[in-house]
Formats: sequence, C-alpha cells, structure tokens
Amino acid sequence: MISCEGLAKSFRRPGAGRRAERLQAVRNVSFTAQDGEITGLLGPNGAGKSTTLRMLATLVVPDQGSASIDGHDVVREVSLARQHLGYMPHDAGIYPRLSARENIHYYARLCGLDKTTAHARTGQLIEQLTMTRFADRRAAGFSQGQKTKVALARALVHAPRTLMLDEPTNGLDVMATRGLREIIRDLAALGHCVLFSSHVMQEVSALCDRVAIIADGAIAMDDTLPEILSRTGQTDLEEAFVVALGLQSEEDA
Amino acid sequence: MMPRSFWVVMGKEILDNLRDRQTLFYALLFGPILLPLLLGGSLALTFKQLSIDFDIVTTVPVLHAERAPQLVEFLAGQNIDAVAAPDDPVAAVANGRVDVVLEIGENFGEQLREARPAALILYLDESDKASSRAARRMEAVFGLWEQTNNSLRLQHRGLDPTVFDTLELVRDDVSSNGADGQLLASLLPFLFIVSMTMGGFYLAIDTTAGERERRSLEPLLGLPIARRDIVFGKFGATLAFIVLSVVLCAVAVWGLFRLFPADLIGGDVRFDARTVFTGLLLVLPLAPFIAALLVTVSAWTRSVKEAQTYLGLLMVIPMAPFFVLQYISAKSELVLMPWPMLSQYLLLERSTQGLSFSPLEVGLSVAGTLAASAMFVALACLLYRRERILS
Repeated sequence: MISCEGLAKSFRRPGAGRRAERLQAVRNVSFTAQDGEITGLLGPNGAGKSTTLRMLATLVVPDQGSASIDGHDVVREVSLARQHLGYMPHDAGIYPRLSARENIHYYARLCGLDKTTAHARTGQLIEQLTMTRFADRRAAGFSQGQKTKVALARALVHAPRTLMLDEPTNGLDVMATRGLREIIRDLAALGHCVLFSSHVMQEVSALCDRVAIIADGAIAMDDTLPEILSRTGQTDLEEAFVVALGLQSEEDA
Repeated sequence: MMPRSFWVVMGKEILDNLRDRQTLFYALLFGPILLPLLLGGSLALTFKQLSIDFDIVTTVPVLHAERAPQLVEFLAGQNIDAVAAPDDPVAAVANGRVDVVLEIGENFGEQLREARPAALILYLDESDKASSRAARRMEAVFGLWEQTNNSLRLQHRGLDPTVFDTLELVRDDVSSNGADGQLLASLLPFLFIVSMTMGGFYLAIDTTAGERERRSLEPLLGLPIARRDIVFGKFGATLAFIVLSVVLCAVAVWGLFRLFPADLIGGDVRFDARTVFTGLLLVLPLAPFIAALLVTVSAWTRSVKEAQTYLGLLMVIPMAPFFVLQYISAKSELVLMPWPMLSQYLLLERSTQGLSFSPLEVGLSVAGTLAASAMFVALACLLYRRERILS
C-alpha cells in the first residue's frame, strides 16, 4: 500500500546557478493506492508524475509532506520502504552487455538473495513473464517490449508487495502493451498494490481500479473510475480529465 | 570485511566490462603492450642511430683516391675502406644511393707537402640520419689524422705540440647516466602511470557516467543497499582493471628490454626483473588513487561524452610530474614525497638508475598517495548521495 499526504518538491534546473529560481515540480500531492488494486497516476507531461514516484521510491527527499510504503516512512525508514517496493523507472535501464537472466540475477543478488535462491527466483520470473525465448540472449538487441519485461522482472525480484511503474507502456507495440496489461492484472489479483503512471487515457481506463489525476504538481481528483465519471458528469475518462483539470484551475484561482 | 553487495556490484562491473571491446583494448593491449612497444622501441632505435661503432668495417666512396694514398691507407686502418665513387657525388648522396662521398682536392698532395691546409670535400645529407652519422664518423677519423699530422709537423720543427694547448678541459659528468639515461629512466614511471590510467579509464566512465546515460542508475539506487557499497563496488572493479594493466605492463617492459643489448640502453639504467618488480611495488599505491580519481570525475559528469572530455584533460596528469620535475630542482626531495604521481616518478626514476631511496621516502609516498585516494573515494560517495545524480 502506498499513501502520501501533501508532498511537495522543488528543483533548481540542472546547470543553473545557486541563485536561480527554483522550479516547483510537485506542489501538493496526496493519494493512496491499496493492495490488490491497480491505481493510475494520470497526468500530462511535466505534471510531476516522475518526481512524485521518485519521492515514493526514496530517491528524492520531499520538501514537505509525508509518504509511506506499506506503513514505512520513505524518509525515516528508507531501507524498509525499499524492501517493500518494486520500482521500475521511466526507462528500462537494463545492461546491454548482460543477458536478460544476468540482469535479473544481478538485482536478485543485490537484494540480498543467496546464489541458489537468486537463481531460482530468476528462473521463476522468466517463466512468469514469458521470457524463456530470449532469457539467455544479451540485452543489446532487445525490443522495447523485451526490455520492459526484464526491467519489470528486476523490480519484482525481491517479491515486493507494492509495485510502482513509471510509464511502462511507453514505446510498446499493441501486442506487447496487451501482454503487459495482462501481467499487471495478474499481479493485482495476487494481492500486489500496483501504481502506474501514464499520460494515456485508454491505458488508464482499460486497466485501473482507481485513478489519481495530477496536473501542475497537484492532485486534481482521486477516486474510482466510475466515481470520477459521475463527479464530472462525463461518460469517458478523456472528457472527465479535461473537466477535472478545469475544476482544479478554478480552485487555484 | 566488505558487505556482500559490494562484491556483487564489483563482480558484475568486471564481467560487464570484460565483454566491452573498448575497455579490453585499453586495459589489456594499449597501455600494457602497445605503448611500451612504441615508446621503448622508438627510443632504442634512436639510440642505435645516434651511437657510432668505430669497430664496424664500412666502405666510403672516394673521388680521386689516387691523390691521397696515405689518407686512404689511414682510413683503411680505421676500418673504412675506400671504394670507387659515383660520377655525380651530389646526386648520389641526395638520392640516398650512398650515405657520403669524399672528394680529394686537386692539389691535396702538394698542399700537404708544403704544410698548407689540404682540401677535402665531404658530401653529406644532414637531413638523413644514416648520412649524418656516416659523416660524423668520417669527421672523427679526420680529426684523429689531423692531430697526428699536426704533432708530427711541430716536432719536426723542434716545437713541443703541447704549447698550443692553452687549456686542458676535463669533462666529468657526475650524473651516472647523462641526459639519455635520465630520459630512459623516466620511461618506466611514465609507462606504468599511463597504462594504469588507460586501464581504468573506460571502465570508470562506463560504470558511472555510462550508467547514468543509459538510465540504469535510477533503479539501482532504488534498491535496498547502501550507496556506499555501490560506489565501492565500482571503485573495486576499476581498481582491478588498473592493477591488471600495470602488472601486464611490467611484464611487457621486462620482456621488451631484454631484447635490447645492455650497452645500447646506456649507463646504469636497468630494466632487469628486479628493477621492474621494485618499480611495480613502488607504483602500486597509485592504483587506488587513479581508480578513485577516475570514479570521482566520472560521477561528477552527466554523460559519457562529458566524462571523456574531462578525463581526457585529466590524462595530462600522468605527464605532469615529468614537466614539474624539469622546473623543480629541489635539493631535498623529501617535500615532494607525499604527492601522488610526483613521488612515484622520483622513486622509479631513481630505482631504474640504481640510486638509493630511504624507507622514510617510500613511507611518505605510500601514505600521501593512500590519503589522497581515501579523500577522492569519500568525495565520490558524497557525489552519489546528491539527488542530482539522477538528473
């Protein structure tokens, strides 16, 4: 389970001087993602999705607010929070000169599994994510779909209860996207809490139990899909999204 | 005892980079084999070209040899046999068909008898190494002949030849090996330090800046392990490659200089197994220093290209002591000993020249270098703790 309350974070642009104005990437983000559910963090590019996920992943310390992973505070209990979280960032970021199996095995070992357990767990994930065909090939020539599977397997290697995926379907073709949706649904059915960010409406409406709409660094609306549609009086998510953003800017004004 | 994640990171980085041709080329071939071969080979060749062996029998084309039978006989006595000269001596020398041509002046015998300067023309090509070497040998032999004749003439007139010697200059070079020896002695530290730097160069870039660029750093930093272990793992892998490079380089240097005759290398400069091994031991404390420096600089940069630029500039550092030492002429070299690179240069130079050094000097060198290494490793850890490492 993920819960966060009033998260805020500002940055200086890379390369800018110390006196440069800080960029407010996230202003006020609060939502919860439950176990056994798929929660979508929906927002346009630059809305603050990745920064929010990085704060939840303990990689960036929030300026304000608090967040926890399965009850472990992301600032005070970094190690525990990380042990309970599987995080797949925006890019797959796998090692091209290692095979799929070696990529996963490396993370398994880093997460503290001994050689035998790491080997078994790697094999199990290769099976589960249907990667057997390319498991022992070097990753250099992998398709985006294959890379995403390897990255997902790495995120799952220490069997975390909570899973966070940053725009996982980016660059995937139709079949790969459908395959990934299937995997995400299976994970939720197994009781995992899945949070994934996206700017694609169809993606979110096809998959998510709950949606948190984020714009301009703040959550505009956070609810189940049917509730969001009824609150905005719309029939599809795209229209509801536009209305939710409009409501937020009225509140801000 | 290092934590397990350190060994896992180090093992992965080594395996990963053993599969990278660029890293392998620079770590196993360039520094250890190619560089000693190119530098050592060309230096040895230069010495060979500069040195003249007066015992080797050679021939020289002489035009009008019949005008100076005595001189021709004297030349033969100095292992230089006169042979028939080509018709156009200038063209023959310019084309490189012969190294030099000696032409005897028309009135050579007459001038000699009348005790006037006798004319000789030596055709040579100063731009050609073989030609100028042959000319220098000829000039040296002429000098000898002239000196003998002068003495004879003076004695003939009842004069002591030494009245013309107003000075008796004795040159005594107190350096054991002269300028050439100094240059050769600095070859060993130079080769060692450059091959160490090149050995770790690509691995350091790949494991830090490369990891940032291919976006594999973010998931890695999100794992439940200490960032310190990640930095140490990368440092350890770089260190392993650096040590491998320098050991291979030592073996190559030892093997290479066994191929050259001892007198060719000159003076007391030695590259025997004992000297090379001592040099290796003296230079080894630099391995963690160079590894830490490379890792820190590439952790500072945001991309592989940026890292290559900065580290490219940094490559001047292995050469810096060579230039610094040209300007610093410290009587007591003790103050230079705590400085990494500088002290290894000094110690290795002395070691190859068969000069001694004290345990205090070695101690200062090791301590100074290791302290600087620790500083850079700490700096790398700090850089990895910044949030900006992700951007």
